[in-house]
Amino acid sequence: MEIRPIFAALMRNKTGPILVALQIALSLAILANALHIVNERRGIMARPSGMADEHAVFRILVRTLGNETPEQQLADIKRQTEVLRAVAGVAAVAQVSQMPMSTSGSNTSLALDPRQAKESALGSIYVSGDSLVKTFGLQIAEGRDFLAPELVDVNEATENVYPPGVIITKPLAEKLWPGASAIGKTMYFGTGPEAQPTRIVGVVENLISAHAEFTERGMFSVIIPQRAYGGGRGTLYAVRAEPGQRDRVMKEAEAALRKSSALPLILDLTTTDDDRSNKYRSTVTVSWMLVTVSLLLLVVTCSGIVGMASLWVTQRRKQIGVRRALGARRIDILRYFITENLMITSAGVFGGVALGLALNQLLVSKLEMSRLPGGYLIAGAVVFWLLGILASYGPAWRAASISPATATRSV
Amino acid sequence: MFAYYFKLGIRSLRRNPALTALMVITLAVGVAASVSTMTILHMMSNDPIPQKSSRLFVPLIDPATLEDYTAGEKPGDIQITYTDAMNILKSGLGVRRTALYGVAGSVEPPRKEIPPFTMGGLAPTRDFFAMFDVPFAYGQAWTEADEARGADVVVLSRPMAEKLYGDVNPVGKRLNLMGFPYTVVGVTEKWKMLPRVYLLQGGSPYATGEEFFIPLASAVRHETQHNGGMSCSQNIGPGFAARLASECTWVTAWIEAASAGDRSEIQSWLDNYANEQRKLGRLKRNAPNRLYDVPGWMEYTGVVGKDAKLQTWLAFGFLALCLVNTVGLLLAKFSVRASEIGVRRALGASRAEIFRQFLIETVVVGLVGGVLGLLLAFGALQLISLSGKAMANLARMDWEMLSLTFIISVGAAILAGLLPTWRACQVTPAIQLKSQ
Repeated sequence: MEIRPIFAALMRNKTGPILVALQIALSLAILANALHIVNERRGIMARPSGMADEHAVFRILVRTLGNETPEQQLADIKRQTEVLRAVAGVAAVAQVSQMPMSTSGSNTSLALDPRQAKESALGSIYVSGDSLVKTFGLQIAEGRDFLAPELVDVNEATENVYPPGVIITKPLAEKLWPGASAIGKTMYFGTGPEAQPTRIVGVVENLISAHAEFTERGMFSVIIPQRAYGGGRGTLYAVRAEPGQRDRVMKEAEAALRKSSALPLILDLTTTDDDRSNKYRSTVTVSWMLVTVSLLLLVVTCSGIVGMASLWVTQRRKQIGVRRALGARRIDILRYFITENLMITSAGVFGGVALGLALNQLLVSKLEMSRLPGGYLIAGAVVFWLLGILASYGPAWRAASISPATATRSV
Repeated sequence: MFAYYFKLGIRSLRRNPALTALMVITLAVGVAASVSTMTILHMMSNDPIPQKSSRLFVPLIDPATLEDYTAGEKPGDIQITYTDAMNILKSGLGVRRTALYGVAGSVEPPRKEIPPFTMGGLAPTRDFFAMFDVPFAYGQAWTEADEARGADVVVLSRPMAEKLYGDVNPVGKRLNLMGFPYTVVGVTEKWKMLPRVYLLQGGSPYATGEEFFIPLASAVRHETQHNGGMSCSQNIGPGFAARLASECTWVTAWIEAASAGDRSEIQSWLDNYANEQRKLGRLKRNAPNRLYDVPGWMEYTGVVGKDAKLQTWLAFGFLALCLVNTVGLLLAKFSVRASEIGVRRALGASRAEIFRQFLIETVVVGLVGGVLGLLLAFGALQLISLSGKAMANLARMDWEMLSLTFIISVGAAILAGLLPTWRACQVTPAIQLKSQ
């Protein structure tokens, strides 16, 4: 091959090639990191919520204007639950303290041993007096759902009751007792002398937390079998409609609740689909912005290569003509320019890999990103090599079409 | 000569239309990306109360248990206990003091055509309004006397007052709030702090303003639940009274000092206070008491999202790439004009003169790219503001950013033009003339 003469020619006029290589290095570095971030975000958004057929579930927050006594509140909860169950197309209803991905809810620290100083994990707390397994459509991995006697009514205004048994998620069980069955084991709410013990009666495959944190914590949920009332923040119901009937059921449920109450009610209905899209909205925005920048990056780099390659062809018309007159075939000229471009691209790609790793290092240290897998850099390198060949093919072809006669005429 | 070169520059835009268009678009896209992300970052890290930000202080006192504490550990809490907040209110520190928490209240509108609804607001003490320069449209903050007895009085925001009462002065009217009859004492003018530094709880700090204000004492008397997080290091008893007495943190306090220099005085009061409380058996951790002014508070609470920083960094990386690309294209554009330069030099133009001409030509490209970039940035911000209320509040261009766009685009063009222009000056007239 004619690498040495091409290299020598490049060395005579360094600015242009350096600029192109620099461009490729910059785009490769940004592209690899941007795509890595996008993919990571997509992975987070694709996490299962643990709910079967999320589209069929919605929540209703019921508030009143007055100040009922806790006893009245409990009666209201029981009555409203029945009203909702009676709506045609409702598959299950549960009064619950918080909803998955709704970004409003509470956490508690969990410990394996009350004597330990630090908690073992932070759990998102679902408190419900009905079967969340049925309403959310959770899959039981081990153990069982709560039995009717375990579901108790608790007046939050006057008593603190700690449940004897709870259901936790499999990721939480794995975190607390790696590799062992969690059923029948004891964990504690809180740490220290006031920590309260509870036993695990069931493990569900998954249930995403109310805040759907981006870390492993997002899957640490605990279900407590209590119908809590007297807290004074309104009552939240989770409703599962029969498949495909959600929108109609939502309207009818709202009307039924209003009709059943003597006092005016403030109702707030939100589908789980909306909760999900609200939770991940900014993530989607960031992803789109990164994808847009990546595409623009490719376009700009491509145009840069085309521009510079065209310039070199124009500058060397005479030389090309001379070479052609001396017997070089078209394919030789074509190969010359493509090889030249490949050399520049390769320099850029190597620089880009180094720059990409450095940029990732910066992101890891400053913004707590995860490490960039090598695959992105390899894929990026292949993309830019192909892009280099594609972009230089046009100008190279024009160079090859220069006829020896026209090129040498002006000498 | 400047005007002439400027005209030449505009004319030369048409000389290589494809190359010029490529250059302008590259610059515009780079400028648009960096300006739109920077606008959001700029709005996010905006100092919402610049005239006072150095003399408004948030105190943080760590009340948690000793068990899970290692000395010097970085605390994560951004609120304090009700007990500590009350003691700070009573302390007489600084010029003004307030303690507050977020509340939501159900409203029964006086006009029957509006169904009952819930509004979000704040339960502060009366100093809050003067402290954060809240403007009033009607009436004023509740009185000292109202505050002392925890009277059921309410200050509405202007949009809420208009929704409830129409375009009249509602001061003195009754409003059924949370099941209790409240009296309207004031209406604030449209007022929104971005970011909402006074309470970084309950929703995005960029999303909404307050719809109503009630005295902290009234909210506590009616056992109004707080809207936002609460952190407890031990299990607490049931009911609201237990929460007030607990070591759980759910209140934010603010102290306004006469000057930024009073900080050390407030700090030493805090330290003394903590020592006294320790004698009473509280604050076992003996953790340092912290005091933040507004910029420090924003830094500590991490109001400015990491995503916004990441986007800005990437956008500037992209701008750098666009610059490199423009350098290449300018080199190409100028290299075809070597003969023209040769003629000018031979006719007596100095290198400096050539340098000036070509730099001005680049500035023209930069200006065109800047204007186009600005339009693109406006479009991008419009798109971004579709993604939620908080973003709509943030994706707004102000004069500062507008001028910055110009500086960036022209600066970028000049930076990109330096190397090609310098190369253009190096043309030796003799060689150029000979080859013609």
